[in-house]
Amino acid sequence: MKVGFVGLGVMGLPMARHLMAAGHTLAVWARRPAAAEALLAEGATWCATPAALAAQCEVVISIITASADVEQLALGPAGLIEGFAPGAVHVDMSTIAPASARRLAARYAERGVGWLDAPVSGGEQGARDATLAIMAGGEAAVLARVRPLFECLGKTVVHIGAAGAGQVAKACNQMVMVNAIQASAEAMRLAGAHGLDLAKVREALMGGSAASRVLDVMGGRMARRDFVPGIQARLHHKDFAILMDEARRLGAPLPVAAQTWQQLNALMATGGARDDTASLLRMLETKETKPC
Amino acid sequence: MKIGFVGLGIMGRPMALNILKGGFDLTVWARRAESMAPLLEAGAKGAASAAEVAAGCDVVFSMVSDAADVEQVALGAGGVAEGAKPGLIFVDMSTIAPAAATAIAARMAERGFTMLDAPVSGGEVGAISGGLTIMVGGDAAAFDKVKPVLACMGKSVTLIGGSGAGQVTKACNQILTGVGVMAVAEALNFARKSGVDAGRVREALLGGFAYSRILENHGQRMLDRNFKPGFKAWMHQKDMNIVLQEAHRLGLMLPSSAATAQLFNAMVGSGLGEEDSVAALKLLESLSGD
Repeated sequence: MKVGFVGLGVMGLPMARHLMAAGHTLAVWARRPAAAEALLAEGATWCATPAALAAQCEVVISIITASADVEQLALGPAGLIEGFAPGAVHVDMSTIAPASARRLAARYAERGVGWLDAPVSGGEQGARDATLAIMAGGEAAVLARVRPLFECLGKTVVHIGAAGAGQVAKACNQMVMVNAIQASAEAMRLAGAHGLDLAKVREALMGGSAASRVLDVMGGRMARRDFVPGIQARLHHKDFAILMDEARRLGAPLPVAAQTWQQLNALMATGGARDDTASLLRMLETKETKPC
Repeated sequence: MKIGFVGLGIMGRPMALNILKGGFDLTVWARRAESMAPLLEAGAKGAASAAEVAAGCDVVFSMVSDAADVEQVALGAGGVAEGAKPGLIFVDMSTIAPAAATAIAARMAERGFTMLDAPVSGGEVGAISGGLTIMVGGDAAAFDKVKPVLACMGKSVTLIGGSGAGQVTKACNQILTGVGVMAVAEALNFARKSGVDAGRVREALLGGFAYSRILENHGQRMLDRNFKPGFKAWMHQKDMNIVLQEAHRLGLMLPSSAATAQLFNAMVGSGLGEEDSVAALKLLESLSGD
């Protein structure tokens, strides 16, 4: 398949490579052309604008930062929508607001262009190992066409529902995950306050009912005090603004998530924005470690 | 000094009437013609747009729902900036985000107009009696000029600081009243569930350190089971959203406000949005097995 790719960051670059390795023809555009150099050397084609990319591809995949970036890519000057032929598909794998995804789907539909919101879970490791969990929103027929591409990138592909549904699932994913990171941090803090060896506590808990992937990975980072990202906390902070706003709009109370959000705010204020989210542990360690 | 007023809802209408009572020459405009009728009967002049109000006035007040409305009234098609003479003072009394107020003020300044943010506390009762608390941000000279008009609407009128400072103060007010009303609801529900007369608890506490106007007024309304607004829960939810968005932007931890906002979400989601904030008591009761 002729595939376009936008967003060659820590997630996008290994994903693009998996597609090439599976024999797909890859074309790329990037805001900073330097980001594409490695992939061009491996045989991808460069396009000067998103519109030019869209014009020569059946499917364009994007994985970039925020709702505004995706809207700019799709609808901005020389945006994808100007280049797509009817029947082409934009698959956005970024984490953005469900409302943005629905808006873009509607704009594309007016021109006979397909849309999928297909955010992923699994992080950098999942992208490298092609073991991402992909949650898709959009039409089933469109998903069926791009499923062979998804199978190069992830091990689970679930069609959640109509456009925007993938982003709703991703918001739920972020909420469960970061709440679990906060719970792990609180457990590690309590154990640490007792003067215990955090690695042993984590190891013991991993054998029981409290075992989880988050406790395994993030609890391990906390025990080692390894706060190098991983995923930068500022990205989780961004996600919480999206999901808390949805909760307000829908009149859904999310009391635990609301508290986690405030802990993330504190992390932003105290210089942790670019550290791993495991540094939520540090927000629990402020005053009481100072001598009186 | 010729005065204009835009936005004649539950709050704006009595506020504009108080400006008239203060003896000022007043021109008004509202999106719905029937909102203007009581003002015209009382002697105000009517205009066909915010721009037309601005064309004949030195100072224009606005009282609308949200930041998008304020932007429309100030800078949109048919807005104040379109009709105003240079030097006009635009006083927005709506509750919007501080960042939005500052941004609109900067754009008005580029066009030669001064904007003050002057949100109010005191509700419909305060608007009718002229007893509002008015918290102002912006230029001090402009404040001095409009202060006699503000004094018709409020008994406490304070210049807090530069542009946006009034909205920051209002956000602080909403933190205190939002968290406060939830605290009173929790305390009275706790008393009742413990088998103690909640009315006597309130009465005893009013004499001590936990005294607050919210315990006194909102507490009494909870005991009377008078849930008529007042200040509707969905509006308080909207204001808490402003608070939490600012907190997100600033990287500021507001755990009690965050918890309170979730209770407002639950109120709106369970059909209590149109009732007064004191209906939080009903939410807590329903979650207490009652």
